[in-house]
Amino acid sequence: MEKNKKRMVFILFILFASLLSESASLGSEAITVLGNQVKSDPGNNTNIPVFELPMPGSEREKSYLGLSGTGNFKIGQIKAQVLIIEVFSFYCPHCQRTASQVNELYKKIQERPDMKEKIKMIGIGVNNSIYEVDSYRKRYKVPFPLIPDENMEISKMLGVRGTPTYIGIKVNGKGTQKRFYFEEGGFQDTQQFLTEIIKLSGLK
Amino acid sequence: MRVQKKKWMDLLCLSVFLVVAGVAVAYGQSGGFSESIYPVEKLKPTDSLPKLKVGGVAPDFNLPAVAGGKVSLSQYKGKKNVVISFVPAAWTPVCSGQWPGYNISKDLFDKHDAILLGITVDNIPTLYAWTKQMCNPNEKLWFPVLSDFYPHGAVASKYGVLRSEGVAERALFVINKKGIITYIDVHDINQRPLLDDLAKALEKVNRQ
Repeated sequence: MEKNKKRMVFILFILFASLLSESASLGSEAITVLGNQVKSDPGNNTNIPVFELPMPGSEREKSYLGLSGTGNFKIGQIKAQVLIIEVFSFYCPHCQRTASQVNELYKKIQERPDMKEKIKMIGIGVNNSIYEVDSYRKRYKVPFPLIPDENMEISKMLGVRGTPTYIGIKVNGKGTQKRFYFEEGGFQDTQQFLTEIIKLSGLK
Repeated sequence: MRVQKKKWMDLLCLSVFLVVAGVAVAYGQSGGFSESIYPVEKLKPTDSLPKLKVGGVAPDFNLPAVAGGKVSLSQYKGKKNVVISFVPAAWTPVCSGQWPGYNISKDLFDKHDAILLGITVDNIPTLYAWTKQMCNPNEKLWFPVLSDFYPHGAVASKYGVLRSEGVAERALFVINKKGIITYIDVHDINQRPLLDDLAKALEKVNRQ
C-alpha cells in the first residue's frame, strides 16, 4: 500500500512536470512579442558547445562572415562579436511569412556603420537539403548566408524545438561561445529586436 | 478496490505517456499553427500494394477541388505535365510541412511545364480549413487541392496508395503530357520526400 502511494506521487510529479513543459512549448509557438520573452531561460548566458558548420558556397557569403577556404568552419572563426542565427525551414509557413522581416533585420544592421562589422547573421535550415535551402534563398532573396542542417544535428545541439527560432551568440575568437538570446516563434518589430540584441549582447 | 486502483494507475501512466509523446512529436515542427496539428506516432513506412508502374498509363479521375468545381487528370492531357502529391491526412505533422514547400516552388513546376495536384482522403471543409491555416496569407496556394473523400479513397486505391487504416500513402507521381507515369515515389510515410528528388524527376519528364 505504502509502495503504491509512493508510485502514485512519482507519477503525479511526472505528469505535472510534463504538463508544464508542454504548456511552455505550446505557448511559444505563436508569434512571441519581444517584450514578453522569457529572459530567464536557464540556457542563456551559458557556453554552448563548439561545433562545425559547412562552409557557405558563395564567395560573397564567405567574405561577409570573414571566412575562407572550403570544408567546415566554427562559429568562433566568424569575424564578428555577435552572431544572430535564424533557425528556419524551407517547409515552414511561419518562416516563409517572416522571411521579408528577417531580410529587413539584415538591412538594418548593414545600415548601422557602428554595428555592421560587429553583428553578423546566418540562417540554419533544419532538415533541409542544400537544394531546399538554395530554393528558399532564391525565393526570398535572402542576403545573408543560409546553411543546411540536413540531419538536424546542429539544431539539436542548439536546443531548437521548432522553427523559426532566433538565437543570439556572443562570438569569441578563443573558441568559446556564449548564448545570450533564444526565442521561439518570431519578433514583431525589427528595430525593437535589433535594439534588444544590441543591449542583451552588451555591445552597447 | 485494489483492482480499481490499478486501473486508475494504468490510466495515469497512459496519460503521462501521451503528454510526453506529444512533447516529443512537437520537436522539429514548424511554428505558427503547429498547436492545431494532431500528434502522430511513427507509422509503418508503407502499407499498400503497388498497382501502377513507371511507363504505364495513369488512371483518370475527377475529384472535387477545395477552390470549387472538379478537376480531372485528363483535362491536362496534351497540355501539362502533372505531379500528384498524395499525403496521408490533413492536420498531421509531416504533410503540414510538405505542401508549404511546394507552394513556394511554383517556379520549379513552371520550368517543367507542370501542374501540381494535391490529394488527400479528407473532405472539402477539412481541407479548406487546413490549407487556409497552412498558407502564408501572402502566398496563396497556387495548386489545386483535391478531396478523395467519397467514395472513400477511391483514387488513392486506383493508384495503389490507400493504406489499411484508410489514409493515403505519402506518394508522388509524375505524369507526362501523354498521360504516362514517368516517376513514382511511395515514400516512408514518416518522412518528407526531398525536393531534390522531385526536381530530378521533373528534369526527365519531357524526355519520356
